[in-house]
This record gives sequence, structure tokens and C-alpha cells, in this order.
Amino acid sequence: MPWDVLVFYLLAAVCVLAAGGVVVATNPVHSAIFLVLCFFNVAAVFVMLGAEFLAAVQIIVYTGAILVLVLFVLMLVDPDDLPEFHAARPVQRAVGVLLGAILLLEVGAAILNRTVVGQQGNATPANVAAVGGNVQALGRNLYTQYLLPFEIVSLVLLVGVVGAIVLALPERLGERVGQRRATISLGHPRGTDVAALPPGLDGPDGETPVRVASGDRPVATGSGRREATSELEATRELIMVRDADERTVVGGGRDSGRS
Amino acid sequence: MGELGVNHFLFLSAALFIIGMMGVLVRRNLIIIFMCVELMMNAVNLTLVAFAWESNTMNGQSFALFTIAVAAAEAAVGLAIIMALSRRQSTIDADEIRSLRD
Repeated sequence: MPWDVLVFYLLAAVCVLAAGGVVVATNPVHSAIFLVLCFFNVAAVFVMLGAEFLAAVQIIVYTGAILVLVLFVLMLVDPDDLPEFHAARPVQRAVGVLLGAILLLEVGAAILNRTVVGQQGNATPANVAAVGGNVQALGRNLYTQYLLPFEIVSLVLLVGVVGAIVLALPERLGERVGQRRATISLGHPRGTDVAALPPGLDGPDGETPVRVASGDRPVATGSGRREATSELEATRELIMVRDADERTVVGGGRDSGRS
Repeated sequence: MGELGVNHFLFLSAALFIIGMMGVLVRRNLIIIFMCVELMMNAVNLTLVAFAWESNTMNGQSFALFTIAVAAAEAAVGLAIIMALSRRQSTIDADEIRSLRD
């Protein structure tokens, strides 16, 4: 038996065993480690198929980025949220295995009875070597024939990043941003008043000072924001607070309600 | 058994895909289901690269590269959804999730 066939069978065996391990492992972290093993073997198979660049991308993207992301999420998710039982109900499990076996038979039959042969391209190993290697050949293909899809993929990645941030944003932050505009309490008797704050201190973090006209004499504070608009003499800064009692300043100090 | 043909790789790919599909059907943990979907995508990539190798073309490898890029975006969004589910509904059991709101 030639060496490459032997190597292929070794890689395939480890790959399939690792994939099985992903499915049957009870600990999700073990599943992730099995998946890393499986992806490494697939990368080695890519090398056998003359796709060196894809093998590198496979390792960098899948095992370097996606699997690390999976492990992060595994650590972030509360262990109490994990399902109590690892596998589905027995009937569901039997149906799943049965469907898998049927599909394996179908696909096996399709592979063995395949008659359609693809049109031969010009990327023979000699031609690929002539342009400098797999990376150069793939780059030429990507940047000439698939330039527009390539750009669209960058857009997809951008949208994916934005969507991931929006979805994973802590609920507390969104709530704060949403409610600040909704409930504004101005001039609460004990509310936060910039004038009462000692110099150098502004309002509570994240609040928006507004200026309202009032007949009072302006009170000097050390706030830089105040000095910048010193021509507004007859104004007084008030702080919009979400809840007047939550951030009350008593005696000029800052409230400890905000931690 | 003799020469290494495209069928070898296709069978490996089919095996990986079907193992991944069984995982999606059988497991209940959403993160495991997600990993099994990644496994299926990898099997498809393997098929693309195997056919590209057979027919001496670069298009299959380009497609596989696009698949990997989309899989990365899908991973980011999918895992963010799993985190949001864990936070809002405090479960990531596929059998327990049945409402779109809190």
C-alpha cells in the first residue's frame, strides 16, 4: 500500500473518531477539544489535497478563532443553564441515528455510482507550481474571478461583527441607554446639582448636564465643561438623572448608590 | 485500496457530515449543536477541495475559503445568540427554548 494511502487512512480514522467524540462526550469542553483534533486532521487532509493555504486558514480560523470563541462562551454560560440530560429522548435519539445511517447509505451509493466528472481546469500541479505555489494560484483566482464575492464576504463579516456585538451586549447597558431619555427628573429637591458638587467633580458618570435658564447667580464650579461656556452667565447646570433618589448628593459629596 | 482517489475523500467527508448531523439531531446542548454544525461545514469544505483536486481547478478552494469566512461570521452571531439566550431565558437546552421573547 502506498504511503499516502496509509497516511490518509490514519488521518481519516482519527478524524472520524474525534468527530464521534464531539457527539458523545458529556462534557462540552471535551467536545471542543475533540473538535480541535478533528479540525487539525482535516487541515492535514487539505495539505494532502494540495490546498496548503486552506489548511493554514483552517487552523487559524477554526481552531484559532472559532473554537476559542466556543470555549469562551462555554465559560461564560452559567453551568446551571446547561441541559440536565445530555442527549435527547430515546425515541428522538433512535430516529437521529436511523436517519444518519440512511443518509450514509444514500450518500455512499451516490459516491460509488457517480458518473459525472467535472470539467478539467488548468490548475494542474505543474501550472500551480509555475505561478509560485498554491497561495499565488488561489490569490489569482480569488482576486480576478471572484473579486466581487470576496468584497461581499468582507461586508458579511462586518455585519456579523456588528450583529454579534448587538446581541451579546449586556442587557443592563442597553437598559441604561434606553431609559435615560425616558425619565428625566430636573430639579429634584435633593437631586444632583452640579452647583452643590465640590470643584473638580462633575455630575455622576454618564449623565448629561443640561443648562436651564434661571434667575440665580451662577455658582462657579471647577468643571471644565462649565468654563468652556462661561459666556452663559445666567445658567445653572442640572443633571438629568434616571431616578432622583438613586443618585442623591447629600452634603456636597457624591452618592454611593452608584458603584 | 490502491491509488488514492477522490472517493476516499468523499467518503471521509460524508462520514464527517453524517456524524455532525447525528450530533445536531441527538444532542440538546446548543453549544454542542453549534459545534456539530461547524463539523458539517468542514465536511462540505472537504468535499469542495476534493473535487477541486480531482478536476485541477482553483474554484473549489475559493469556495471553501468563502465558506470558512461565512462560518466565522456565523460563529460570532450564533455564539452571541447562545449567550443572549443563556442570559435572558437562563437555559441553552434546545428542548426548553420555545419562545422568541422573555
